[in-house]
Parts: sequence; C-alpha cells; structure tokens
Amino acid sequence: MAPLSTVTRALARPSVFRQAVRTISTTPAVRGDSSYSSPFKGESNSTKVPDFSKYLSEKSPKSNALISYFMVGTMGAITAGGAKSTIQEFLVNMSASADVLALAKVEVDLNAIPEGKNVIVKWRGKPVFIRHRTAAEIEEANNVNVSSLRDPEADADRVQKPEWLVMLGVCTHLGCVPIGEAGEYGGWFCPCHGSHYDISGRIRKGPAPLNLEIPAYEFPEEDKLVIG
Amino acid sequence: MSALYNAIFRNNYTMLGAVFAGAFAFNMGYDTLMNKIWDHINRGRQWKDIRHKYATSEDDE
Repeated sequence: MAPLSTVTRALARPSVFRQAVRTISTTPAVRGDSSYSSPFKGESNSTKVPDFSKYLSEKSPKSNALISYFMVGTMGAITAGGAKSTIQEFLVNMSASADVLALAKVEVDLNAIPEGKNVIVKWRGKPVFIRHRTAAEIEEANNVNVSSLRDPEADADRVQKPEWLVMLGVCTHLGCVPIGEAGEYGGWFCPCHGSHYDISGRIRKGPAPLNLEIPAYEFPEEDKLVIG
Repeated sequence: MSALYNAIFRNNYTMLGAVFAGAFAFNMGYDTLMNKIWDHINRGRQWKDIRHKYATSEDDE
C-alpha cells in the first residue's frame, strides 16, 4: 500500500518540522540580547528575534546611501535611455523611407521647353502640366475680370514666374486629364464632361467647380524646376 | 564622497537632471559602441566598404 504510507509520511512531517523550529528558536542569541519583547504572555520562549548585529554595515550611513542612490540613478538612466530609443525607433519607422522621398520630387529642365509649348510630367502618380507661356498669353490671363470667374483667383496668385504655369493636370470635376491647347478659352479642355479652362488653368465653362490645382514647386536655379 | 552626495543626490531635481543627462550620454555611447560592433562583424560587406570599387567619381553617388 504505497499511497497510504505516503499519506502517513506527509502527515507526520509537519510535527517534525514544528519541533525543529522550536529547537532553533530556543537556542540563545549569538551576540548580545535581542531588544524585542513579545506583547503576549507565555510567548517569550517561543518568539525570540535573532540578533542581526553581525550583519550591520560598518561603513557610514552616507556612503551606503550614496551607493543605493547611485544604483537607483543608474537604473533610471538606463530605463530612460531605453524608453527614448523605443519611441525614437517607432517614430523613425513611421517616417517616409528614402525611396519614397526620392519619388516625392520631380526635377524638370526648363531649357527643353520652348515658348508656347506644354509638357506633361508625372509627379506622385498624377500628371503635372507645365506651360511656357508667351507674352500674349500672360497678357490674356491678366486681362480677365477676376470677379466674373466661378473660382476667383488672379493669375499672379497662380504662378511664381508669369512665363511658367505649373499645375496639376487633374480636372476638378471628376478627375479626368484635360487636353492642352484646346477649348474655347485657349487653355485646357476636359473631354469627359466638357469643362473649359483658360490659359491660367482657371475654370471658365462646364461642370468643374474649381480651378486646376497648383502643386508646391520652386525654381532652385534659373532653368530648373522642382515640383514637390 | 560627501561632496558628490550633496551635489547630485541631495535634491530630487538635481538627481533627476543627473539621471536624464546620464541617459543621454549613455545612449550616445551605447549607440556608438553597438554601431562599431556591427561594422566590425560586417566589415567588407557594407556599401561604405565597397563603394570605392564601383563609384568612379564623387558626382554619381
């Protein structure tokens, strides 16, 4: 009957253990008397706190405090560094990568565009119209009565240099690509629903509600255009 | 010893400042060290090690 003997042994064990505890607690303290006295009567023999004086530090309390604070501070510094690195790595991970940034800008050599010609470049998946306007076309764009337009915008607000008109080639109606040098106003004409844009890309006739959009662009050099 | 205690650990704000400054310095040192180890393990395999074999001039990156 192996299980029964196991049970009896398990039952017997605590009593042995208790006895052992009692023998330990009744041994006298090694060095000096404990200052602890039990508030309960009859327990003075069973609860004696051992003497810990041999574990007392011999160094001054200040140096112990210094070491403790140093350890706490070092731990805090490492934790703070780790937290900062974690947050930083997440933020870096979320920002645009180098290949995306490389596609975000398009450079155009303006010497290749003669006066009075359109060029369409692809920028971020959309066509961008660049027109080298003649003096007559600039004159024409400036002579329009702005207040009579559907989306009133002066030509000077739409261009950085009057001879270069740069705009997003997406019709503001439903997103078709308008055809250049067409339409009743000498500018762009959207074949989908018949919107007419003038030589400044402003909506003049048809269903489109807004002028053609102007992307962010700049001229870093005299004959160079950077879109984006 | 006591001077160090008085300078850094006596006030909470000085200790906090010391901890953040220490974190900053530790981060820089740790990053540098880890990059050095990485470069040492991967030496001869990275673009900056073999660039001189392929790049003919400074212009074409």
